[in-house]
Amino acid sequence: MLFNSSIFAVFFAAFLPLYLLCRRNVTARNLLLIVASYVFYGWWDPRFLILVAISTAVDYAAALGAAGKAVRPADLVKSAGFLVLVTMASLAFAMDDRWLFLPVAGGMAAIGLYIAAIWRLPSATQRKYWLILSLTVNLGILAFFKYFNFFVGSAATLLGNLGANPNIPHFSIILPVGLSFYTFQAISRTIDSYYSRFEPRYSIVNYAAFHAFFPQLVAGPIERAGHLMPQFEMVRPFERRLCVSGSMLFAWGLYQKIVIADNVSPIADAVFGAPAGQTGGATLAGVLAFTIQIYCDFAGYSNMARGLARVLGFDLMMNFNQPYFARTPSEFWQRWHISLSQWLRDYLYISLGGNRGGRLKMYRNLMVTMLLGGLWHGASWTFVAWGGFHGAIQVIYRMLGVDAIVKESRFASVRGFAIQMSAWFVTLILVCIGWILFRAHTFGDAVTIVAQLGSTTGYTASQFSTLLSFAAPLIVIEIFQRASGRLEFLTWGPFLVRYTMATVLILTLIAFSARGTHEFIYFDF
Amino acid sequence: MAVALVLYTVLIAELYFRVIDPQALMPRYVTGTPFGIRGNIPNARYWNHTPEVDVQYRINGQGLRADRDYPLKKPSGTCRVAVFGDSFFFGIELDVKQTFESQLERRLNEAGFRAEVLNFAVGGFGTAEMLQDLDRFGRQFQPDVVIFSWDDSDLLDNVRSGLYRLDDGHLERAGTEYLPGVKVSDWLMQHAWYRLIADHSEFYSFARDKIEFLIKRHQRRANKDSMAAAEGSATGAAAPPASAPPKDADTEAAEDAIANARANALQRQRNAELASALLLRANDVAHDMGADFYLVEIPWKVSRTEFTSSLDVLSDAVRSDVKLVHTAAALSRAARPDLELYFETGQGHLTPVGESLLVTETMQQLKSSPQMAGCRATP
Repeated sequence: MLFNSSIFAVFFAAFLPLYLLCRRNVTARNLLLIVASYVFYGWWDPRFLILVAISTAVDYAAALGAAGKAVRPADLVKSAGFLVLVTMASLAFAMDDRWLFLPVAGGMAAIGLYIAAIWRLPSATQRKYWLILSLTVNLGILAFFKYFNFFVGSAATLLGNLGANPNIPHFSIILPVGLSFYTFQAISRTIDSYYSRFEPRYSIVNYAAFHAFFPQLVAGPIERAGHLMPQFEMVRPFERRLCVSGSMLFAWGLYQKIVIADNVSPIADAVFGAPAGQTGGATLAGVLAFTIQIYCDFAGYSNMARGLARVLGFDLMMNFNQPYFARTPSEFWQRWHISLSQWLRDYLYISLGGNRGGRLKMYRNLMVTMLLGGLWHGASWTFVAWGGFHGAIQVIYRMLGVDAIVKESRFASVRGFAIQMSAWFVTLILVCIGWILFRAHTFGDAVTIVAQLGSTTGYTASQFSTLLSFAAPLIVIEIFQRASGRLEFLTWGPFLVRYTMATVLILTLIAFSARGTHEFIYFDF
Repeated sequence: MAVALVLYTVLIAELYFRVIDPQALMPRYVTGTPFGIRGNIPNARYWNHTPEVDVQYRINGQGLRADRDYPLKKPSGTCRVAVFGDSFFFGIELDVKQTFESQLERRLNEAGFRAEVLNFAVGGFGTAEMLQDLDRFGRQFQPDVVIFSWDDSDLLDNVRSGLYRLDDGHLERAGTEYLPGVKVSDWLMQHAWYRLIADHSEFYSFARDKIEFLIKRHQRRANKDSMAAAEGSATGAAAPPASAPPKDADTEAAEDAIANARANALQRQRNAELASALLLRANDVAHDMGADFYLVEIPWKVSRTEFTSSLDVLSDAVRSDVKLVHTAAALSRAARPDLELYFETGQGHLTPVGESLLVTETMQQLKSSPQMAGCRATP
């Protein structure tokens, strides 16, 4: 179910009155949120719910165990019961796939044996094994559904290049939407429990509601348990102020998605779909269009998720903070997909040693983190190369000390202004080059596009007019946001100003929304 | 306070469309007729404003687009050509002198015929309404030649009107009237404030077009769904057997696409059968009243220089029994990248040049019509 679809409007209109009825009872509210979130997610494919339930069931117990709290038999029964219930409910809507109950039962038996094996170990050792269980299950699901064919295919290609001709099978595996998001969120909670940064509680209902919270289930923000989980353990406010600002945030996100991203995407698709033979102007327009599209698509989704959650009284973290104003690649990653950047920093970069252990190790850690960050986006070597490119430019910036120069310069001085503006421009160009790798189907396509950017043909006004007409309002608004320091500009000013802005926004949504309902790019990651 | 806020919202919306997204102002002056179908409001005077044209429409006392009323009795020695159609032949976005009818009358007169060409067209008409209009109203004017327009939208318009249906291949009356929105429109048009808004408000124009688009899309989908259901029951399609192997998402998506395409094709085929039956009936009605019958196609615009025929969907019987005026090839031959044959703003109707090409092709056939022979001024 997409936020930008009419079925979601029906869903939310039916959900909200029920939510208001039971919002003061935490358990009843969370049960409703679980049912609503599972309907929302199961709308794509009811079978996907089994994976959400596996992750929920395992991490409920694993986080308790990793935190050193007693995992009672009753907790295991709760976990197993939840998984069985969801599996049966989902298969009721996919009767042809009843056989899926067998692998679920097999997996439960295997985990049962694993738990039996670690049951009598000393607490400190057992904690580690609970953490390993969480990592194995979540990363295992991710590896199988997202990367199995990629690694097997890459291995086959490598062996083929070495002269071998292996007969390696190719499975037709569906990638469940949002898999990378909710598995990462589940992992982070268990890791935080293990390192005593978060204390899990004994309620599978509260945890399942947190794990599947429909505004952010399929594309984040990847929340930390320490921030979001306590909100599921208390009554949340339902206030006019939150409803208005949440609705405005949702509307702004919808504008970013259906007015900007979906309208400029044909310009990008034309170039990335058939790069050869395009003029220099068309290629540049295509690259810039994708730069705008990917930002508005994902930031739009994040704003819609935060807006919806706010209406319900929940606070989700900010995921984008004007990334295209970044003056260095490091700053870009502090502003782009913030929840993932922080996840990679805290659970990968720092775990690898972070800045400790000398410059070379720091560069290595940075490269590994960015390469894996690239791979997180999709099972393709172009994503790995995109991550590698961002890792490499950050390493080069650090080697040259550019981050420090930019940080120390003062925007108010002439020299500082020149430094910061040129640093911003160079960073924007580098980010755009990165997007070529990200969007191109093959390395050959990426090379063709970069080569064509050098051509001086086809630079006509009509080539850029559509892109500019949709990008210009965004640029003006972002400059206003930066100058005023108000990211949520729609709730700024006296009533008449706010009302006028909201009216104009709604009219634009009606008048300029792209035809049809388009998926979000990040749902595939 | 609430009223002030509503007025302020309307003002903002009007300003928005005037500044950011200008809309064509194309009010509709349509009402019900005693024949159970829509007609132009007699004696109406109104304007259309688009970025390309400013056009005044003048409707005569009989509901025809003309500056004078026509006596029912045909003047002696004069041939009458009655033209029935939708907005393309009504001449939306065209000055009265540029319409198909005016151009045809001029060309007939220049070619030595004493002829009157009467414009019975009403925006939004399909073949079913044209037939009803001819049978109950047009025949009173004793036409020698009857011309119907044909374009792709007629396929669905005929279904939507519900005036006729096919029963085992035979054309049957299904309803006596089709007056969509006429009661509301009549009530609104009584009020000067509404006419002021309809004539001048770009916000109103946008809202009306948007609502109409959504209604038509809903009707298209409903029509397609009913066809898909009909196909399912006709072919005995049922749920796959329990032993069928599981399908992956790609397979299901491909099957959905195939089912969708089949439903579309079936819908088109059924709609074309109904349209063909209606055209054959119109041909018979015209012949019964002693008139010659022609069907002039409005081609489907693919691009500014490419046009395809809209006649291909019609049955073999129509193609053999009805005199068809093919025009797509003529438009394609005349097309140039710097020449507009259809307007590219407003509602995208034919330009005066586009209409003149249709007139040229029609003239080729009318010249040899036996009914026209009696009104040659110079033998």
